[in-house]
Amino acid sequence: MSDQKLVNLTIEGRPVSVPEGTTILEAAKTAGVLIPHYCYHPGLKIAGVCRMCLVEVEKWPKLAPSCATTVADGQVVNVYSQKALDARKGVLELLLINHPLDCPICDQAGECELQDYTFQEGRADSRYREPKRFNPAEDFGGDVLYVTNRCILCTRCVRYMGDVAGDRALCVEERGDRAHIGIAPDHDLSHPWAANVIDLCPVGALVSKDFLNKARAWELDRTASVCPNCSQGCNVTLEMRDTTLVRMKPRSNSEVNHFYLCDEGRLNYEWVNRADRLETPMVAGKPASWENALAAAGAALKGATAHVVASASLSNEALWLLKQTAGTGKFRVAKGAEAPLPGVPDLALRADRAPNATGAELLGFSRADQPLAGAGAVVVIAGDDCAGLDTGALASAKAVIVLGSVVPAGAPAGAILLPIANFAEEEGTFTNLRGRVQRYLQARPAPGLARASWMALAGLAAAAGKGGVYDSAEAVFGAMAKAEAAFSGLSYDSLGLKGQMAAGARVNA
Amino acid sequence: MSHGPSASGGSVAQPIPGHHHDEPYVPVFAPGSAPRAKLDDILTRYPTKQAGLLPALWIVQDERGWVSEHAMKEVGDVLGLTAAYVKGVVTFYTMYHQHPVGKYFIQVCTTSCCNCMGAEDVVKAFLEKTGCGELGLTSADGKYTVIEVECLGACGFATPIMVNDDFIDSVSVEKVPEILKKYA
Repeated sequence: MSDQKLVNLTIEGRPVSVPEGTTILEAAKTAGVLIPHYCYHPGLKIAGVCRMCLVEVEKWPKLAPSCATTVADGQVVNVYSQKALDARKGVLELLLINHPLDCPICDQAGECELQDYTFQEGRADSRYREPKRFNPAEDFGGDVLYVTNRCILCTRCVRYMGDVAGDRALCVEERGDRAHIGIAPDHDLSHPWAANVIDLCPVGALVSKDFLNKARAWELDRTASVCPNCSQGCNVTLEMRDTTLVRMKPRSNSEVNHFYLCDEGRLNYEWVNRADRLETPMVAGKPASWENALAAAGAALKGATAHVVASASLSNEALWLLKQTAGTGKFRVAKGAEAPLPGVPDLALRADRAPNATGAELLGFSRADQPLAGAGAVVVIAGDDCAGLDTGALASAKAVIVLGSVVPAGAPAGAILLPIANFAEEEGTFTNLRGRVQRYLQARPAPGLARASWMALAGLAAAAGKGGVYDSAEAVFGAMAKAEAAFSGLSYDSLGLKGQMAAGARVNA
Repeated sequence: MSHGPSASGGSVAQPIPGHHHDEPYVPVFAPGSAPRAKLDDILTRYPTKQAGLLPALWIVQDERGWVSEHAMKEVGDVLGLTAAYVKGVVTFYTMYHQHPVGKYFIQVCTTSCCNCMGAEDVVKAFLEKTGCGELGLTSADGKYTVIEVECLGACGFATPIMVNDDFIDSVSVEKVPEILKKYA
């Protein structure tokens, strides 16, 4: 890369220096100019069909489609010259001829590129007085609904399905004003990665059936997070309406998931919103204060060797504190079928359906199908993974301490229950299967008295006389990075929002 | 899903042989068949199999009268293309029939010159005399389908029509019954 030739040009009066072969559109981004575009997407092959990215290059007779034009030395590019603005205004006018303008009932409104660019550069009114073409909406299968009338035929979905998902299910059918996106005979969009066409669609033509009519884009609060549904660790944005998670969208990270998120990851979020939560600490079936519950748990742990059952859905911070408090232990990981996305290297819905199995292993926990087996007098269960386990092993236990976000099935009546937050309600980090440590942020408050898992475990450690005092997940992470070689050199600052490789993984990679 | 006028479905009162949807699909390009030999010959002319798509679809239409979704899939399999790609091509061109048409497919030019010379009346006459009633529909006996087309390139001899591959010019309302007698 270092010997790559740089090309110098001027875009909107700003000097730009980019590697040879860069397109004008990408070069303009480095100058802080976003050239309007529809068919271009950095993850897809260049099509050059929408003509929205036309710009004026000085001394060229015609306008150039900036997505398909590479930079050259000395070029002077005018994005907002009258000629370019007029051309793009014309493109927008044509796109809107048959567009229903049903923004008030369209899910895309507020995050629609047709709206945005029309607002920026389009005509204020339409000159078209004739009746508009009308086509019915079509269910494409999977999570995808195709609202034909809103389509601007950018073909991003066609190219994604063919080139990235490797299932050429979509095509452009018919031509002229009858053209629309069609689906091949006997096909539907049930491909495990098909719902990405919803995010790729720049307008409201491909919409999510799951999200349909749930919320307006501008009502949503967005939080950077990591998908908790498998060990790939795709970066996501949690979109909350008030305190309800209404959808998960991919957040781009060129080291992990590029621009994509699988259907299973994206649609498996309802459990975050479940209402039947453990909201208050319980001691022997009675609600207790945190103070009393922690004191009881600490007393049980003091001097005892605990059998520890962890969860691969807990953060690195929580797992490390658990290790401090009661030692390492076993965890069980739910399994599922692996589903790769062919167009992106090393991206798949992974067989391990939990986000932090690697983190747990780096911290010394080990996998077991029956993590409760061999439980002794004192048992600590952290996380919600014990549903369906044979709890007969707990019969002889004197003290059972459970940290869970829901009331655990099969917990003995005398158990000490400590309510913890789920991943959307706390801060923390997960380590994905390649050893990438990534942060997730808090999107909503935990219910009732539930505490972030690191906070609950820090309290438990203190009560057992084993831990320091921590005032934040960041402080826990800092202490862990000092104590654990695998995480050495890392901090929340160095992780940023795209993560860093753990030390062990850096060596192995 | 069908969109727009070019895809208007035929209301076939009397079923046309080979057009039943519940019948098992019989491949056009079965190994050793004449259409297969024809296609293989065509493919020798092009550097890629993909280039043989349009001729392959013509063979299908010659054999079956229309291009069904089954046929699109078969053509895709034969040429190493996906069904979606083939469907995109079939629907792009108006001259591939996506629904069964009558034994005689009558195309009447209604562009400017022909329109001045009474092409609209010729269309009406065909619709009445064939019993089709409406553009794009197939007559009850399964014999005729009438559509309007853009310029057939015989403006000096308005109104030209095409019946399947036969070209007939200077058609007037009076000549319609005589033409239909020939294609009965």
